[in-house]
Amino acid sequence: MNELNTLSITEASKKLASREISALNLAQACKEEAEKKNPNLNAYLEIFDDIEKQAKNADERRAAGESNSLLGIPLAIKDNILLEGRHVSAASKMLAQYTASYDATVIRKLKEAGSVFVGRTNMDEFAMGGSNENSAFGPVKNPADPSRVPGGSSGGSAAAVAAHTALGALGTDTGGSIREPASFCGLVGLKPTYGAVSRFGLIAMGSSLDQAGPLTHTVEDAELIFNAIRGKDALDSTTIDESSFQSPTRKKKIGVPRHLLAGVDQDVLDMFEKTVTSLGCEVVDVTLSSAALALPAYYIIMPAEVSTNLARFDGVRYGLSLKGDSLLEDYARTRGEGFGKEVRRRIMLGTYVLSAGYYDAYFGKATAARDALAWEVREVLKNVDVIATPTTPSPAPKLGEKSDPLAMYLLDIFTVTANLTGNPAISIPMGTLQREGKALPIGIQFTAPHADEEALFNIGKTLEAKVH
Amino acid sequence: MISREEIDNLAELSRLKLSDAEAGELQKDISNIVEYIGQVSAVAADTFNEKPLLRNVMREDFPRDSTDPLAHKEEALKAAFPSRKGDFNVVRKIIQKDE
Repeated sequence: MNELNTLSITEASKKLASREISALNLAQACKEEAEKKNPNLNAYLEIFDDIEKQAKNADERRAAGESNSLLGIPLAIKDNILLEGRHVSAASKMLAQYTASYDATVIRKLKEAGSVFVGRTNMDEFAMGGSNENSAFGPVKNPADPSRVPGGSSGGSAAAVAAHTALGALGTDTGGSIREPASFCGLVGLKPTYGAVSRFGLIAMGSSLDQAGPLTHTVEDAELIFNAIRGKDALDSTTIDESSFQSPTRKKKIGVPRHLLAGVDQDVLDMFEKTVTSLGCEVVDVTLSSAALALPAYYIIMPAEVSTNLARFDGVRYGLSLKGDSLLEDYARTRGEGFGKEVRRRIMLGTYVLSAGYYDAYFGKATAARDALAWEVREVLKNVDVIATPTTPSPAPKLGEKSDPLAMYLLDIFTVTANLTGNPAISIPMGTLQREGKALPIGIQFTAPHADEEALFNIGKTLEAKVH
Repeated sequence: MISREEIDNLAELSRLKLSDAEAGELQKDISNIVEYIGQVSAVAADTFNEKPLLRNVMREDFPRDSTDPLAHKEEALKAAFPSRKGDFNVVRKIIQKDE
């Protein structure tokens, strides 16, 4: 019974339902593993001290007749998602001492389902980064090779699940922040359709791009969490109706935009081609002519939204508050010292692209490129079930390897499109590649039509059956 | 290349106090990034006009009832004030008489 923490959610759920194990057994196994591994991985900013109490509560609910598949399942939560009465910092000095005053909708739903929260996970500050090196509380290490990054920004969530300290985790994805760490840590990571999951109670980064979603070991587990957290929410006006979700006739076709794959490592490309042709579907070439503009458009729209969203951190209402000689100085000191370097850089960039005189040249053009891309993706998805690419051009880089901000941004090349267009996308492990004697995981990404997460789960399960 | 004056102006607009060294670094970084994102000028604006995903959502302007997840949060919000006196958030005096 010692390795309960290595079970999938689906397996643990069955054992809980048959009373073979208790939620308390499961929680203790995860807690023990988290406490053992966290000093090296730095995946958690806080491991909660009431895990056992939460688990006992889940056991009592089950004894009273409840039977949700997430009842008693230990999950890790990214530190930009609010849990009432607990600290939530977005891995920033700005919010280091901040206590959440309410539950995010996704948390309320998971509490209703009876999940146990193991702790809050480390991340790139305010979710800005692809390596988790931008945390104000130190970088996270990749469990597959501690000299490498776990990806970001949901790197703590990914490392926590990969190291079996929780059975699954919530992350958030603004430009790939769930899928990229899933690829680097060998996990399934889902970025739901924009509006499928409520953003209420998430610390906002790019409001037209952000979505919360699961990081898990299996596709079925991701589906379980997705079904638990999705739904229309009166507190998030961008959430979509249940009737939007569809189950179209499958064409048994996968589209591959091969014209975009030039910068991908050769062995990643070989594994990708082998994987995509093994799924029992016809593989066809597709063209996304505007895709080359996705990353530039993303690095205009996202910083613009960042500079706007983060204007709320003024040292007046909550969070860090430093004093200067004037009100202007109060703001500038609080924000200059409270925000880390990458956050400051993106606020400056966002302010630049929104400045009078530049707005049309940057934000206006980026919005037009986003529209063009959304149109192209929709057209392509009329003829294929999903679009496939590698999730990332290469496996996880070493800590400190991508010191130039632009080089770091290029890791997002395949993931930002789904955020710009609102489509659901999933990263699924396709195997491991050797780098300096270590086997490093790498993922394949599938993108489906809006509100057709089912297509992603279907193809994901087919792929898992092949890999295992 | 973006000028140093422009960086200083952006920092003021962004309400960020930057060191000299960082302002210099940002001058280089932001110039590089701006050159990269400038690729979007290739797109023809208004070609596609996608239907916006957003729409107006109206609600009645009533206090939340007691079952609402946001009901009774006043105390928690007040507890987060950086400087509190009773039910008030103490802020810097910003309107002053001309001397």
